[in-house]
Amino acid sequence: MNRITSFILKNNIGILVVTLLFTIASIVVMVKNIYLETDLDEYMPKDHPSFTNSDEAEELFDIRDAMVIAIENKEGVYNPTTLQKVKDLTKTLGRMEEIQKSDITSLYTADNIRGSEEGLEIDEFYKKVPTADKKLLSIVDAVTTNDMIHGLIVSEDQTATLIITKIDDEVFTEDFYHSIVDLADSYQGDGDKLYVAGQPIIEGTMAILMPKDMKTMLPIVMVLIVVVLMFVLKSFKATILSMMVVIFSTMWSFGIMAAFSIPIYAVTTLIPVLLIAIGVADGIHMFSHLQLYMTSNKDKTKEEKISNMISEMWKPVVMTSITTAVGFLSLLTSEVYPIKYFAVFAALGVLFAMVLSLVVIPAGTQLFGLPRRTKRSEMKSDTFSKASEWFALNITKYKKAYVVWTVLFVLFFGFGASKVWINSSFLERFPASNPIVQTDAFVNDKFMGTTSINVILEGDEENTFKSPEVLNLAEKMMNETIVKFDQIGGGISLNDFLKRMNKVLNEDREEFNSIPDKSDLVAQYILLYEMSGDPDKLWEVVDEDFKTGNYNFQVKTDNSKTLEDILEHLETYKNDFKALGVDVNFAGSGYTLLLFNNLILEGQIKSLVLSFFIVLILLALMFKSWKVGFIGTIPILITAIISFGVLGWLNIPLETTTALISSIAIGIGIDYAVHFIDRYKINALATSDKELTITKTMSHSGRAISFNAIVVIAGFLVLLVSEFLPNQALGAIVSLNMFTSFFGTVTIMFLVLYITNIYFKKKK
Amino acid sequence: MKKYKIIILLALVGTMGVSNALAQTGNEIADKVFNRSAPENGESDMTMALINSKGKERQRFLHQFFKDYGDTEKSTMFFKSPADVKNTSFMNYSYDDDRDDDQWLYLPALKKVKRISGGSKDDYFMGSDFTYEDMEKRNPNKDLHKLLKTETLNGETCYVVESTPKEEGQYSKRVAWVIKDKWIPLKIEFYDEDEELLKILSITEYEKLVGYWIIVTQEMENVQREHKTVIGLTNINIENGIGDTYFTQRAMIKGL
Repeated sequence: MNRITSFILKNNIGILVVTLLFTIASIVVMVKNIYLETDLDEYMPKDHPSFTNSDEAEELFDIRDAMVIAIENKEGVYNPTTLQKVKDLTKTLGRMEEIQKSDITSLYTADNIRGSEEGLEIDEFYKKVPTADKKLLSIVDAVTTNDMIHGLIVSEDQTATLIITKIDDEVFTEDFYHSIVDLADSYQGDGDKLYVAGQPIIEGTMAILMPKDMKTMLPIVMVLIVVVLMFVLKSFKATILSMMVVIFSTMWSFGIMAAFSIPIYAVTTLIPVLLIAIGVADGIHMFSHLQLYMTSNKDKTKEEKISNMISEMWKPVVMTSITTAVGFLSLLTSEVYPIKYFAVFAALGVLFAMVLSLVVIPAGTQLFGLPRRTKRSEMKSDTFSKASEWFALNITKYKKAYVVWTVLFVLFFGFGASKVWINSSFLERFPASNPIVQTDAFVNDKFMGTTSINVILEGDEENTFKSPEVLNLAEKMMNETIVKFDQIGGGISLNDFLKRMNKVLNEDREEFNSIPDKSDLVAQYILLYEMSGDPDKLWEVVDEDFKTGNYNFQVKTDNSKTLEDILEHLETYKNDFKALGVDVNFAGSGYTLLLFNNLILEGQIKSLVLSFFIVLILLALMFKSWKVGFIGTIPILITAIISFGVLGWLNIPLETTTALISSIAIGIGIDYAVHFIDRYKINALATSDKELTITKTMSHSGRAISFNAIVVIAGFLVLLVSEFLPNQALGAIVSLNMFTSFFGTVTIMFLVLYITNIYFKKKK
Repeated sequence: MKKYKIIILLALVGTMGVSNALAQTGNEIADKVFNRSAPENGESDMTMALINSKGKERQRFLHQFFKDYGDTEKSTMFFKSPADVKNTSFMNYSYDDDRDDDQWLYLPALKKVKRISGGSKDDYFMGSDFTYEDMEKRNPNKDLHKLLKTETLNGETCYVVESTPKEEGQYSKRVAWVIKDKWIPLKIEFYDEDEELLKILSITEYEKLVGYWIIVTQEMENVQREHKTVIGLTNINIENGIGDTYFTQRAMIKGL
């Protein structure tokens, strides 16, 4: 290490130039190659059985999330102006490049299936916008007597109507979103109010908003971290060098990501903030050591001081970086791609930060000179030493109290942790005041709901869905489920077509609003429908072989608990269907969300356990002792329990961001323990005096750790003012975790070290 | 004018006294296509294959009868398969004046003949990619015709004629490749109201029977829906003096 250090010190300018060139190269690659991935489906492992099943069904029935434009008119929508707007909007949307005409459903395009004296009529509700009252009234009449439209496209109170457009996930861009919003806005007025809603809008907005929010928050976080670094290190040079390390390492990591053409996912945008928080730790510890050494070794040369910093600190810096990287890499167990990529590039960034800390900081210090410290700050640091000595002695004095309190805390939060639930709702990540939330609430209130669960019933042979027995069981499932759950607004299926046809072909008699009793009759109704209507609408509810049926429910929320309850209820029909040779599977936006959810949870638990054990083993290896390994993991165990406990007690659901951070916390939180134990060991072996060891360790390591914690906590607390809930959660959780890791390290872990007499036994 | 013509499935085009095609204008070509003679009556088997975007094919077999009564054209079709719609029959009366077609469907499972609304002419015929209008002989007076060029298609010299409707209709324009001297449109491109290509009609097989050019196989592809319909005729028998009884509700119920 000494040889490397002297090489670095000799070639300081060269090294700084090379790192700068690497950074510039990274920026160039980034600018050229980087793009944002907002398509949620791209997040999923393509070969996961649950996804392949639902993907197949979604392709078969053209199940796609729909974007919704709602027009509200308090006086009622059946007036020439509003109907004209529906027609114009439908046509304008159809002309948009991103939209297929046949994917639009509105009152203008909907089929009006009705009975006439002699037979069946399927036509449109209107072509030319009617102006005469009589014609308008006939539309009102046609809609209100048609269960397939009423409540679906026009609200039951007649004050709102929808234009539903299925869109492919990949067409959603920021420009597209703005063009839709602008289009809707241009039709405001004349008593009409327009809203844009639907799952693609929510997902898309989130995918756009989250990075955007990060972009505005990142500089604020950086400025604050600079300010706090200035405050704790009291040196402009040290602050600049520490920041250079984290900024360069972030650039390198993103440069490599871009070079491999890996897109930026919403979660990736967390990397810079995390790296900044984690990366500055190396700098803080190194400069903190340097400053302490400078105070007590004033006569040493600049080179000697820098060399001492490296030789004393390289070990804990490397160790903490490796444990942190391992914490990230444990996320590779996740099945969700963005999380895998997140793991790799965050770990890479941490390792870059390590290398850069060990290279740029000595080279830069050599070039620009040692950080200067004022007399006052020296006095202050003296005060700090005294305070930390008192703190250390205080802990050893009230051992029992600290242990009891720790146990109580762990029990309390451990119980809270058992109450943690997961929510993959996208909507609930926006504050209630966000227009998206309000629009969605409006649409969900007036209509059937914007989240879908599709029950995919697959028979073992063709024409299964012409069998009255199967159709009636499906009918039972539909009715019972809709009645049972208030949150289900309704649904659409082959049954609705058949019931409607059966009724209108039997003189519109209500008793025929039921499934036809013969399979031939079903087949002939279908033929009749195909001959009179738009058969594509039929192929969205049943496949052309009548082997597979798509029974859709529209749900008014994307809350995971509700969706899970509905699915659980639907599972109860599995056996009945099985008896008829029909398999039950699921698809739809609500189902995909839940799957995503479970995958995340599964991954988090796996990676949490894995990272814990890897860190334990690493610690044991580093300090060549299992005992130290166990002691070192105490703070992170407490951190994890408190982190989940707080979520549980405050009823904050676990979702992608929160879950992610909790498992990373292990990798970051362990750093404090590593620094502390390393210094404790050095002091113990050097002094063989327990009292001296604890006070020296507390004033050296405890100082650096608390600096580190202050910087990170301050930086992350800024995120609390973010308008985006997951980023707020990120800020709160990282701050909390840093605090508990820090506090756990200097209290209970320290106490256990002390009690176990480790590093002192041999001497006795 | 005749609004819908199921009959056109059988004889979209007939021969016309071969005129010496010198400098033809778009209007003249359109007139020639319109004025070809067609058989007055006949029957045939019909296969209708519906092919969706995934290449999945559904087939229907029917038997059809048709007869031209001068001011009214009548046709009846009986399903032979699939089994669950066997004996379902469809009857269509198409009138020379602007009246809507009359259509009936007999559903054997319901044992009732039902009238189907004389839906608009842009409705799809039997869930295929053909609309009723596509099967109708369109009066050339309704459109403006422009001869774009002459080119060879499938070894035939064709006039390429663009027809734009005078009044807004189902299509914004059509471009037809009309075989010189036979006056059969070998291919027609249909453009939707936004002037985007919507459908392509291709005539893949035609033959001369009893002095008429008969289209035996034709294919309509909807490029926007990615859906295709192929209609093929076999056992064609024309000018065989079909009786009037085939075009009644009783015949529909009685079946083949």
